Amino acid sequence: MATFAYNKEALANLKIEDTSLLDRLVDFNSARAAHLKKDHSQRDKRMSLSEAIATYVQDGDICTDTGFAYVRTPLQSYFEIMRQGKKGLQFIGSPNTNQSYMINFGVCAYSHNSYIGAEMRGSDRNYSRQLKAGKVKILSEWSHGAMAQGFKAAQLGSPGVFSKQLLASDIIRYNPYVKVMQNPMRDDPDPVVFIPALYPDVTIIHVHACDKNGNARIYGPAVNDIAIAAAARKVIITAEEIVPEIDIRYNNKGVVIPFVYVDAVVELPFGAVPGNMPGCYYWSRQWWEKAMRYATLTDENMAEFMRNWVFDCRDQYDFVEKLGGARWVAKARRLTKTTEYDNEDEGYDYSYQPYTLNKDTDIYY
Amino acid sequence: MSNEKPINPLEMLAYVLAMQIKDHQIVYVGTGLPMVAAILAKKTHAPHITMVYESGGQNPIEGDMPWSVGDPFTWRKSPLIQEMAYSFAQAYNGYVDIGFLGFAQVDMYGNINTHLIGDDFLNPKTRLTGSGGNNDLSSLTENMVLVGLHTPDKFPARLDFITSVGHLTGGNSRQEAGLLGNGPVAVVTNAGVFDFEATSKRMRVQSLQPGVNFELAQLCTGFELLKPEGEIPVTPSPPPDILEILRTQVDPHGVFTSIPGM
Repeated sequence: MATFAYNKEALANLKIEDTSLLDRLVDFNSARAAHLKKDHSQRDKRMSLSEAIATYVQDGDICTDTGFAYVRTPLQSYFEIMRQGKKGLQFIGSPNTNQSYMINFGVCAYSHNSYIGAEMRGSDRNYSRQLKAGKVKILSEWSHGAMAQGFKAAQLGSPGVFSKQLLASDIIRYNPYVKVMQNPMRDDPDPVVFIPALYPDVTIIHVHACDKNGNARIYGPAVNDIAIAAAARKVIITAEEIVPEIDIRYNNKGVVIPFVYVDAVVELPFGAVPGNMPGCYYWSRQWWEKAMRYATLTDENMAEFMRNWVFDCRDQYDFVEKLGGARWVAKARRLTKTTEYDNEDEGYDYSYQPYTLNKDTDIYY
Repeated sequence: MSNEKPINPLEMLAYVLAMQIKDHQIVYVGTGLPMVAAILAKKTHAPHITMVYESGGQNPIEGDMPWSVGDPFTWRKSPLIQEMAYSFAQAYNGYVDIGFLGFAQVDMYGNINTHLIGDDFLNPKTRLTGSGGNNDLSSLTENMVLVGLHTPDKFPARLDFITSVGHLTGGNSRQEAGLLGNGPVAVVTNAGVFDFEATSKRMRVQSLQPGVNFELAQLCTGFELLKPEGEIPVTPSPPPDILEILRTQVDPHGVFTSIPGM
């Protein structure tokens, strides 16, 4: 078993006594062993979402937030994790927006932070409140780019990378994994930050199309997902559609996660709802505004909001029905295709009635 | 028609920010006002700029105002969409000329806090978003412009947390810490435009917004502002045709430049 030389100042600042919590994220040997132990054969990996989550997401796992907060993020899979009552997960991602609401239900207990929030939609008061109440413990602070380098180092097949990010900031003092060093190639002083390769336990990545073996095609921003797929010990792919392998070979519009990484393939239309799925559907902007402006206000609001949108929904189809059903689907598809200039945009009106505390139209398209 | 309304402070900020951009530059664009400013610059004095977004979009063709930095408008028919690590590497490798950053707090050296308010990290008064790309761009980009509203709380003598390093403790301390680029070159607020004095690297008034004098700017600042030599110029307001473009073509729905009640 490898042992690790964590940044001691950060351990003290974060009051982390049991460092075993930190180990798996940087334990290359166990990640490699897990990858070697997988069945490497080309085979049909299809299963249901509930089976994939039950099999591959265990209590206490280090789970990733993928996509870009609310772009191609497997939100419906996170909701299934909540419905299955998983407990004590660590969450990491850049951004890591979606761990916030999972804290309220005991799903997420530990944070590796880079960015929590939804930009101009309002600040996430829920995360702030849960942190102060001791419901979540921060294990490390990152910038988006530094965490991206950690995942990328894993994909590169390297113990880590030297970075010029984070230097002299307080983030260094709150991240046990990173260390300031002298650039070994230089004689004159040249401080660099060593960022170790990062190996999460499990990742769920939502894609446009996947074959039954797990070759998974992404269109639009891949963000960190190719690197994360290479790194994670367990990989679940959820896909808008399952296509024959020949389609992956011939249709190269986008990037592909190779089947070798993949443990489970789930056919999951609308798997990124209520986020944006490039080419497929636009955000429900009103839903996110209500989540940030209403649900984050109090624990009671969050409980009610999630009861309605998660626990009272069996699956993504129930969710889409609540958003407005076929009307929502048609509008969301038109919006994203027009934004991407795959539909005519001349004269198209992108405006909508934003959600505010004073005005809740209960319309989500 | 749309010019009957007087200019609001957010529109002024967007215009002043846009004027920081020179034609042909590669501009790293963050969420909110920087998106408005970059698009305004492209539609006016800087039509040949290349916009780069954190979620990977490069040089999208023109569209409406993105709702987020991940919005398809940020990669609308982009020739390529980069992974996140490569997107920041572009700034490291010298292929970004200017970037914009917001802040919850900024100090006299242009260091930024977007992490928390309060003196206890583990039990803050308010926990904020964390870095996102703020630290990355601040560490790597050749020229940074900071933008935000101007209050004593947001301009404290001491930050509650250093998310991103500007000029650190002044002098050569940024270079000595190993960071790249010139650091912050300007701070744009509703009170004025500020630069950093060459030796001390302390924040200095460059120009003040119409109706703001030095005393008022100082009152809104928790540290001592440096005064430039001679008369302090008034920040130029946008001419009517530029304001018209901002209101009708750049952010017609006022996503980022409307103030309720104005």
